[in-house]
Amino acid sequence: MAGKTIVVTSGKGGVGKTTTVANIGTALAKRKYSVVMIDADIGLRNLDVVMGLENRIVYNLVDIIEGKCRKQQAMIRDRKFANLFIIPAAQTREKTAVKPEQMKELCAELASEFDYIFIDCPAGIEQGFKNAIAGAETAVVVTTPEVSAIRDADRVIGLLEADSLKDIHLIINRLNHRMVKKGDMMSTEDIISLLAVPLLGVVPESDEVVVSTNRGTPLALDRGSKAGLAFQQIAARLNGDNVPLDTAQKVTLVDRVKRFIWS
Amino acid sequence: MLKAIRRFFGEKASSQVARQRMQVVLMHDRMDIAPDIMEAVKNDIIKVLSRYMELDSQSIRVDLEQGKNYTALISNVQIKRVYRHSMST
Repeated sequence: MAGKTIVVTSGKGGVGKTTTVANIGTALAKRKYSVVMIDADIGLRNLDVVMGLENRIVYNLVDIIEGKCRKQQAMIRDRKFANLFIIPAAQTREKTAVKPEQMKELCAELASEFDYIFIDCPAGIEQGFKNAIAGAETAVVVTTPEVSAIRDADRVIGLLEADSLKDIHLIINRLNHRMVKKGDMMSTEDIISLLAVPLLGVVPESDEVVVSTNRGTPLALDRGSKAGLAFQQIAARLNGDNVPLDTAQKVTLVDRVKRFIWS
Repeated sequence: MLKAIRRFFGEKASSQVARQRMQVVLMHDRMDIAPDIMEAVKNDIIKVLSRYMELDSQSIRVDLEQGKNYTALISNVQIKRVYRHSMST
């Protein structure tokens, strides 16, 4: 088996990297693929709480790297899917505890056992970022429709390309269609034209995301949720399925009139 | 409604402002030209042109301009006079 290794990164913190990893990973596991998600944010681990697995941690990523345990001992099985695992980050260590070559080696090993390996990248562009991207062949850049997130995303895309990681995809998170319509938020088209990276999907801003992280159950399992559906579609596209992008937020004449009157 | 009136009188939507600002910022980030490099470029332009003409060195400006499909370096120089023969410097 030659699994796909995918790093989820953004540069800026708080744009939804961990949520994205948790949801795409879960959506793919639901489709019967074997998935492992590595939390590469050493010192600030969060993937475990988002997945609701914080009580089961014994060993972590650094323990595997340092040979204190076997890979299987540090992998935590999901509560719902037997084919979904996380490797938690160490909480009391520093990013320098891992080297890029070691991550490369670990990812290569995991790729022989799993269909998908996701790496949840820490914010920033320093050592933690370099570790996270070392073993990946595909990068998913998450941004929000804000100037700070877009600027950082552009910087990260430049660094990924400089590191000869050319398979780069974009996810726009927390898009507020109502604000876009009113002209108060950059649209999907605006962001794509700025960043010039193929779009994997758009996740609408949603209260449900907060609720699902509160509970530690990824939204991708929820059929009625728009954000959950967006994550499922993103997972499908990542898997090579042909799911059309419904980015066409067509601004009709009625919208224009409404915008003029109500704005 | 106030905003609608302002829009009517030509105020741009904030999304448009953001997009235009980002176009400029990203271009600078991508080109990765530090201010001191731009200053050096400017000085070199002055040096070359000075062989052929007398310039108002205070007035010279060097800017990067982003068009839809291009990035241009635009330099604006005021010429005081042109020499008959090039001055070897």
